[in-house]
Amino acid sequence: MLKMTHITKVFRTDVVETHALRDFSLHVAEGEFVTVTGPSGCGKTTFLNIAGLLETASGGQYLLDGEDVSALNDYQRARMRNQKIGFIFQSFNLMPDLNLFDNVDVPLRYRGVKAAERKERVERALDAVGLLSRKKHLPAQLSGGQQQRVAIARALVGEPRFLLADEPTGNLDSNTAEGVMELLHEINNNGTTIIMVTHDVVLASRSARNIQILDGRIIDDRRAQQKAA
Amino acid sequence: MFFYYVRLALLSYRRNPVLSSLMVLAVAVGIGAYMVIFTMNYYMGGDPIPQKSDQLHHIQFDYGNPDIPNFEPPPQLTWIDATAMLEQTTAYPRTATSKFVAIIEPPGNEVRPFFVNGRGNSADFFSMFDVPFQYGSGWDRSADVNRDLVVVLSNELNERLFGGRDSTGETLVMHGMNFTVTGVMDRWQPAPKFYDVNNGSFDPVEEAYIPWELIISQELNRSGSTNCWQAPEGTGLQAFLNAECAWIQFWVELPDADARSDYSMLVDNYVAEQRSLGRMRMPVEQRLFNVNEWMIEQEVHPDETRILGALAGMLLAVCLLNTVGLLLSKFLGKAGEIGVRQALGAHRGSLFIQHLIEAGVIGAIGGVLGIGVAALGLEGIKVLIGSLLITEWMRLDLTVMALTIALAIVSTIIAGLYPIWRACNINPSVHLKSQ
Repeated sequence: MLKMTHITKVFRTDVVETHALRDFSLHVAEGEFVTVTGPSGCGKTTFLNIAGLLETASGGQYLLDGEDVSALNDYQRARMRNQKIGFIFQSFNLMPDLNLFDNVDVPLRYRGVKAAERKERVERALDAVGLLSRKKHLPAQLSGGQQQRVAIARALVGEPRFLLADEPTGNLDSNTAEGVMELLHEINNNGTTIIMVTHDVVLASRSARNIQILDGRIIDDRRAQQKAA
Repeated sequence: MFFYYVRLALLSYRRNPVLSSLMVLAVAVGIGAYMVIFTMNYYMGGDPIPQKSDQLHHIQFDYGNPDIPNFEPPPQLTWIDATAMLEQTTAYPRTATSKFVAIIEPPGNEVRPFFVNGRGNSADFFSMFDVPFQYGSGWDRSADVNRDLVVVLSNELNERLFGGRDSTGETLVMHGMNFTVTGVMDRWQPAPKFYDVNNGSFDPVEEAYIPWELIISQELNRSGSTNCWQAPEGTGLQAFLNAECAWIQFWVELPDADARSDYSMLVDNYVAEQRSLGRMRMPVEQRLFNVNEWMIEQEVHPDETRILGALAGMLLAVCLLNTVGLLLSKFLGKAGEIGVRQALGAHRGSLFIQHLIEAGVIGAIGGVLGIGVAALGLEGIKVLIGSLLITEWMRLDLTVMALTIALAIVSTIIAGLYPIWRACNINPSVHLKSQ
C-alpha cells in the first residue's frame, strides 16, 4: 500500500540545513492501522505530509499503491490525493462559511461527481458519523468532537483506501477523543488503511502497529503481538 | 464548477465584507471615472452616421494665399465654387449648406417674434443625412431651382409655433416672408454635428431649414464662420459673393469607389480649370473626405478629452494597484483554506480558476457600482459644460454599461493575477498544521 525506501527530507534556508527525515524506510500494508509517535520536531508531520503528497521528499523512493509518486506533476498528485487519500487534521480544518453538507461535498466536487450522486454520498457519510440531521449547520454551531466527526465524514466521502490523521484527538477532551478513536477503528475494520500521528501513548498502544520516530529516523516499529510479548 | 466558484466568491465576500467592499469601491471609482471620459470620447469621437459615413464626402479646395505664411486651407467653399459644384454634379445627391439667423413672427399674438438659427441647404440634404421626419418631408430639387419659399422645422420649433401638431402646408412668417412648411423633423442630434463642424461641432441642430439659394436671393443674415484670403473687389453683396471668401459647406453622396473616382476626377478637372484662371494656388493633399476622414482632418475630437482620458486612465491604474494590494491581503489570508482544498484534491489550476472567478465577481460588483459613479460623473460634466455645448448625447447606453462591467471584470482579473499566483503557490502543509 505505502512503501517508503531511504526517504530523506531536508529543509534549507540561507544559513541552516535541517534534516527532517533521514534514511526513512517504511512499508505499510493494506488494512493496517499504524500509529506514529515521537517527541515534537522529530519528523512525524513531515512524514505524514510526504505520505499525503503535500510535500515532496528530498531523496529516496516513495511508492503509493505501487506507483512511484516522485515523478508525478501537481495535477497528478492532486488527483491521487483526491482519489486515494483522506486527511484528518488536529484542528479539523473545516471551512467556516460552508455548512456541513458543503464541507463534506468538497472532495467530490474536485472529482467531478454528478450532483445527485454527490448528495447521496455526502448524506451517507454524514449519517455514518451521526450528523446527517445537522447537515445545514455551520461548523461553528458544532462542538469540537462533532466538528472532528464532520472532518472524518469529509475524509471518507471519497472512499479513500488510505487515511492520514494528524493528531485527530489533540483538540478533544478524553471522552470525545474516545468516541473519535472508536470511529477510526470501525473505519479501519471496514478495510481502510490508517496512519495516525499522535502524542498520546495510550491511544498509540491500542493500535495494531506503532512506529516511534526520533530525529527523523524510525527507532522502533512494533506490532501488537510483539507489544503483547 | 463555474457557479460553485461564484458561490464561493460571494461567501468569501461575506466573510471579509470590509476588505471586499474596499476593493469594490476602488474598482468602482477607477472604472466609473474612466467610463465618464470614455463615454465623452465614445460619442465625441464616434461615427455620427455609421450607415453611410463612407459614402458622404466633403470637398476641400486648394484655397489660400501662398504669400501668407502658415496659411491653412479653409475647410469651406466660396459661393462661386459651391454654385459651380451644385450645377456640375447633379448626377449625385449633393448639398451646399450654411447657417443663417432670422426673425420668426408667430401666428396670433400670444407669442412675440423671436430669432431662430436656420440652415440653408439643398433639397438632397435630408435624404443624404437620413434626417428623420415626424410629419411631411423636405422639398424637391425644383424648389431649389425655383427658390420656393419652403421650410422644414425642427420638432422643438414646431412645438413652439404649432403646439406640436402636423403643420405641413401651414404658413410661417420668417424674415418678413411667407414660407410654407413642407415637413417637421423628428428628434435629430448627430454628435458630432458632422455636416458643419466649422460652427460648433457639438452645437444643437438648427431650427429651420430653407433652400440654400434663398440666403442670397432673399438676403438673409448669414451666420457662421467666414474665411477670406483676398479682399473683395468692390462693395456690396455681389462683390462678397465673387470674393475669395469661404463660408459654405459642401457635401456629396458617392455610393461606391467608382463614384468616388469619377467625382474625384471631376473635382481635379475643376481645380485645374480654376488654376488656369489664376485661382487655387495652394495645393492640398486631399480634396474628398468621407465623414470620418473629415472629422479627423478637422480635429473635431477635442485635445482636452485626450488629456482627461489619460488622467482617468492613471486614476484607474492607481485604483487597480490598490486592488492588487487588497487582493493580495485577502488571498494570502485564505492560505489555510487553500491548503485544505489542496489536501482534498484541488490542483493549482483549479485553485487559480476559483480565485480568478472571485476576482471577477469583485470586478463585476465594482462595475455595477461603477455605472452609478459614471452616471453621477456625467451629470457633473453636464453641469460643468452644459452651457458650452449640447450634452444630451452624453448618456450611459446599454453598450457603455456592458463595457463598464466588462472592463471592471477584466481589470480586476488582471489586478488579481499576481495575488492569485502567490496564493496558489503556498506550501499547504505549513497552513494545515497552523490553521
